[in-house]
Amino acid sequence: MVVGSSYSPYGRRLAPPRIPVVVYGTRWCAQTQMVRRYLERLGIPYEYIDLERDPEAVQRLKWLTGGSASHPTLYIGGEWLVEPTMRELEWALARSGLR
Amino acid sequence: MMDQQFATELYPRRLHDLEEQFAELAGQIPDSPQKQALSVLHGITQELWRNLRQQGTPLAERGVQLQDIADLYQHAPAMEGAAVNEPLPVGSAAPDFALPDCSGRLISLSEHRGQAVVLVFYPLDWSPGCSQQLDLYQQEWEEFQQRGAELLAISVDSLYSHGAWAAVRGLNFPLLADFNPKGEVARRYSVYREADGFAERALYVVDDEGIIRYSHVSPFLHHVPDLAELLTTLDDLTARQAA
Repeated sequence: MVVGSSYSPYGRRLAPPRIPVVVYGTRWCAQTQMVRRYLERLGIPYEYIDLERDPEAVQRLKWLTGGSASHPTLYIGGEWLVEPTMRELEWALARSGLR
Repeated sequence: MMDQQFATELYPRRLHDLEEQFAELAGQIPDSPQKQALSVLHGITQELWRNLRQQGTPLAERGVQLQDIADLYQHAPAMEGAAVNEPLPVGSAAPDFALPDCSGRLISLSEHRGQAVVLVFYPLDWSPGCSQQLDLYQQEWEEFQQRGAELLAISVDSLYSHGAWAAVRGLNFPLLADFNPKGEVARRYSVYREADGFAERALYVVDDEGIIRYSHVSPFLHHVPDLAELLTTLDDLTARQAA
């Protein structure tokens, strides 16, 4: 679906996700950092797309979410979450059986 | 966590397949108001589902709750100015200070001699970037503890504002009130924005001997420093002290 870094910013190799989880974000966004570290702590594989380094991804995200490229935006097994709260993220992971 | 194989079968595959189809169609539709309308409709569908999932007792019936207060920053005015200050240089002595925390207890930098201290200067309690930045540090609190580092957050807000804000967010590290004279400590650290009346978003790491080993002023107020870089700095400091 999307192509991005296979490494986390913390140096860990990310396994290909079986249930597609994608995080669109920026390095300086606190909420992106929170979400990524949260997923990693749970051991949930995900793909990370840095919106500042991937202009095509920005255009793709705008198409998919109604014209904005907000960060973080998450895709979890068919479900889009634009700037979710941590509680919304927990619910989405639970619905997908990831938590 | 649920068994991965089982979970793979469980998640809404049909929805995922439809999303993939939608993503692939983008390249086949020329840029136009029609394409924009399709994208907006897709966005509306997502937000409708989001609202349905969150449906509960209307705010008017359940009343305002603590989380509503904690989330106020999401609708607060943006704070996005460019930095106007350069931080103190690495290798210089960190100016000492004593500021009250939310209980009124004076906390000084020098009382932490012998351990690494992270000084977190931030603009204002309750504001968007600051709420998210300190939430991040709270979530990762154990990472600081494991590295033996003390975290001291400083803004020009009063100790009463700090107390309420920390309680609402569940922050358990000290918030210090650089309130009177306003911004005096921020000035000593070269991070006070005179025109705005608050500090830059800035970090200092001070080593066990009171020397600045890392300094960072965010290029824009809404940029929150990379946590991984901060933790790496603390790791390097620990290795250096052990050598």
